[in-house]
Amino acid sequence: MTKPQPASLFSTQDYSTRAFISWRGVVLGVVGVFCLMLAYRFYQQVFGWSAGLDATAPAFDTYWMNLLKAELVILTASWAGLWSWLWVTRDRQMSQLAPREEIRRYVNLIFFILVYAFAVYFTGSFFAEQDASWHQTVVRDTSFTPSHIVLFYGTMPLFVLFGVGSLLYAMTRLPKFAERLSLPFMLAVGGPFLILPNLGYNEWGHAFWLMEEYFSAPLHWGFVVLGWSVLALGGLLVQILQHLLDAIRRAEIEAAAQHISAA
Amino acid sequence: MTAPNKPPAEGDFVDIYGVRWSRWAAQLSARLDVIISIIIALAVTAAFHLHFQLLAGDWDFWVDWKDRQYWVTLTPIVAITFPAALQYVLWEKFRIPLGATLSITCLMVGAWIARIFGFHLWSYFPFSLIWPVLMIPGALVLDCVLVLTGNFFFTAVIGGMGFAVLFYPSNWPMLAAYRLPVEIMGTLVSVGDYIGYTFTRTATPEYLRFIERGTLRTFGGHSAWVASAFSGFVCVLTYLLWWHIGMLLSKVTTLPNRWRSMFGMAPDQTAATAPVESHDAR
Amino acid sequence: MRAEWAKQLSRAFLLLLGVVVVLPALAHGERNQEPFLRMRTAHFYDVKWSADKIAVNDEVVVTGRFRLFEDWPMNLPQPDRVFVGNGTPGPVLARTESYLNGHAAIQSGKLMLDRDYEFKTVLKGRIPGRHHVHPMVNVEGAGPLLGPGSWVEISGDHRDFKLPLTTLDGTKIEDLETWGVANVVRWEGFWLLTALVFAGWWLRRPLLMTRYRALHEGHEAALVTRGDRLWAAAFLTGTVLTVFAGAHWAENRYPRTIPLQAGQFRIDPLPKDEHEINIQVKRATYDVPGRSMKMTLVIHNPLPHPVQMGEFMTAGLRFVNHELPAAMAQVDARYPAELLPRTGLTLHDKAPIAPGETRTVNIEATDAVWETERLTSLLTDPDNRVGGLLFFFDDAGERHIANLSGAIVPVFIGS
Repeated sequence: MTKPQPASLFSTQDYSTRAFISWRGVVLGVVGVFCLMLAYRFYQQVFGWSAGLDATAPAFDTYWMNLLKAELVILTASWAGLWSWLWVTRDRQMSQLAPREEIRRYVNLIFFILVYAFAVYFTGSFFAEQDASWHQTVVRDTSFTPSHIVLFYGTMPLFVLFGVGSLLYAMTRLPKFAERLSLPFMLAVGGPFLILPNLGYNEWGHAFWLMEEYFSAPLHWGFVVLGWSVLALGGLLVQILQHLLDAIRRAEIEAAAQHISAA
Repeated sequence: MTAPNKPPAEGDFVDIYGVRWSRWAAQLSARLDVIISIIIALAVTAAFHLHFQLLAGDWDFWVDWKDRQYWVTLTPIVAITFPAALQYVLWEKFRIPLGATLSITCLMVGAWIARIFGFHLWSYFPFSLIWPVLMIPGALVLDCVLVLTGNFFFTAVIGGMGFAVLFYPSNWPMLAAYRLPVEIMGTLVSVGDYIGYTFTRTATPEYLRFIERGTLRTFGGHSAWVASAFSGFVCVLTYLLWWHIGMLLSKVTTLPNRWRSMFGMAPDQTAATAPVESHDAR
Repeated sequence: MRAEWAKQLSRAFLLLLGVVVVLPALAHGERNQEPFLRMRTAHFYDVKWSADKIAVNDEVVVTGRFRLFEDWPMNLPQPDRVFVGNGTPGPVLARTESYLNGHAAIQSGKLMLDRDYEFKTVLKGRIPGRHHVHPMVNVEGAGPLLGPGSWVEISGDHRDFKLPLTTLDGTKIEDLETWGVANVVRWEGFWLLTALVFAGWWLRRPLLMTRYRALHEGHEAALVTRGDRLWAAAFLTGTVLTVFAGAHWAENRYPRTIPLQAGQFRIDPLPKDEHEINIQVKRATYDVPGRSMKMTLVIHNPLPHPVQMGEFMTAGLRFVNHELPAAMAQVDARYPAELLPRTGLTLHDKAPIAPGETRTVNIEATDAVWETERLTSLLTDPDNRVGGLLFFFDDAGERHIANLSGAIVPVFIGS
């Protein structure tokens, strides 16, 4: 007769990955960002050459300046909306957070950062290099070019939405981020955010000093340096892993205690 | 961790790299590996591509900018930066020797996507004009040297030099076809020059090319090797600098939050456990 | 339900696509270029386009002349390095040849102020559509200086475009668009695969939290194994050998190569007339509500023939004296109508200026085109000067070009 196996230490609660990972939010975020970027790219393909070469033409106002105005309104409204929602729904009892719930929230935070990184990819890589293909081809006649309207005033505010959103999520739902300010997190969010004011310097330079279009002009080095701050995600990664390991340890202790009391 | 006098059930724990993990934590960790790897790939592509395109992009975008002097010198120096920083993070924290390969591969994928969708489909440039540079061989050398030596200094010297010196021969199999001589309007030009001339970049005229326009001594036409050697020297220094930038940016530093009470932490309460020790010593 | 939604979305996309056929491609950004750039830098004249409708692979030749203006703006660098470009929306036409005073203009070079140059650019249709085509020169530090633009319609399929070439070592290139690309894709694809295989050695194992914890708890030996080192040694050796094998292959495949050619041209300007008509601007005003530029000019004719004023040209706009047949004969049928104001040039004194005579003449150039071309934004410039060329014709029908430049004052109350 075989010896009966002892009950699993982790049978009192659900420890499957399903209990910690909720895919709905991240899928919505990633698909939403992707659809928006696809729409932007399609819009540029259709209206870039046909209506975007002459900033004095009425068609430019219709298809590009209206898009710019819509972006400025919608994106700043979304900043206000998401960030205030995150604030208003903050956890006011964070120091009593159970370890399993804390792990679940860390996974949510990682998903939030995934959406942030996805938006940053489209900004820093896809639309940024495409900007070269536009400006090295056409005669610049306005600061609001079809490339810039999407890159500077569309994708950049969008990644700021998710970057600051992820920081706020962490600070309003995770005790360690609420208790102490994480410098790598603030750098990884603040550095790319500062690219927005750097745009002013960039346009000033193009308007007053630079008549030629080349990407390696010193005028653009502000973007380069601010882009380095994304490397602070390395520090944030280490910090999140440290916290997760700690939360896992506490969850295991809690499981053991529950196992004893259930026996 | 187990109840006193009660042995754990089989299957509750697994051994990974000599450490005991609860099975559910190991499964969660495996899922997070995938998700976080995607984040790293996206973030590295974005940041590295932005850095590269704004410093060495002009040479990379166009076949008639890929000269024997500035392109060969500048590109490795600009490109060794993120590999060095990422090698610090991935090796020192995880002993994963993929910092260089990961960053350079991400850069290459990002560049190709941008060339296809931006330069080709939007602005109609042919691929013969806009193909991006290859740096994977140099990246592999960097990572391999790090595994074999386990030492950032040797990686800087051997790997850094290797990264720069391998740059030109890695790309020559592709570039040689664009350096064939051709006579156009009674003038000698290379095929690459003519491609750049023909497929007009309206706002980027010929004189804007920051390329070799005559050297004082070309050592029998070996400009590229001289430039590579110089680039290698600067790459060593750049690697050392950026290894430390990686160290700085991956340091976990926190400051007390004076507004903690607004964030749901009462002033006299702390987080559920004692603060985790910082592992910055590594 | 989902299939229906997808169908609706596709229809909407197709509708949007259809719009691009209806929307005309618009002019370049020259209208928003500052007036000082358009009126006081490069003046393009005698510009002709050989065709306005071509098929893919057909040619259109743009010819003409330009003068780099004597009263060059002080805030722009001198034309020490100039390139003869072409103002098209990118490579929708492929430039196959370009000449300056009959010499090849594939390089850049120094040009002189107050001198004339004859240009010729041969463009081959590549991307179907309606494109605005300008002559253009790029001046280092000053940027692109556009001439007048004309619409060229290209029909056909861009996939039919081919640009063949034969090199000096006999290599036949079928199409420059695709030359060498297959090799690039193969070589880079091979290395991408190599990188993925190399990385796969570590990616197949538990990665982040597990390794972090193991390292922190002193299990480094489990993280960097002998197998890892052997794998790395193999890839290191293989990488170096493959790179040098590849370079060796390329040297054998293409033994005769040259570096990028980066010399400068030396091209003399067109000969200058020994004697030039001299223009002094006594007063120049721009009547804002009336859209009229009015000038009082002191004209000295040093030529041995009497001359009459035929045309005032600035920023590509041509105010032609409709009463002078010699001037009207200079207007090419294909010259863009929007740059030829209907009212033309109004002279208050139409009599020819005799040889040796100095006369004060009032002229007017009135048309709404001053506003549509945004040249009235001169008012926002810190340097209010007008610049242009005046074309005179003598009794033999010979043309003489004179420079006009002077201060200009706006008039806001109707005169």
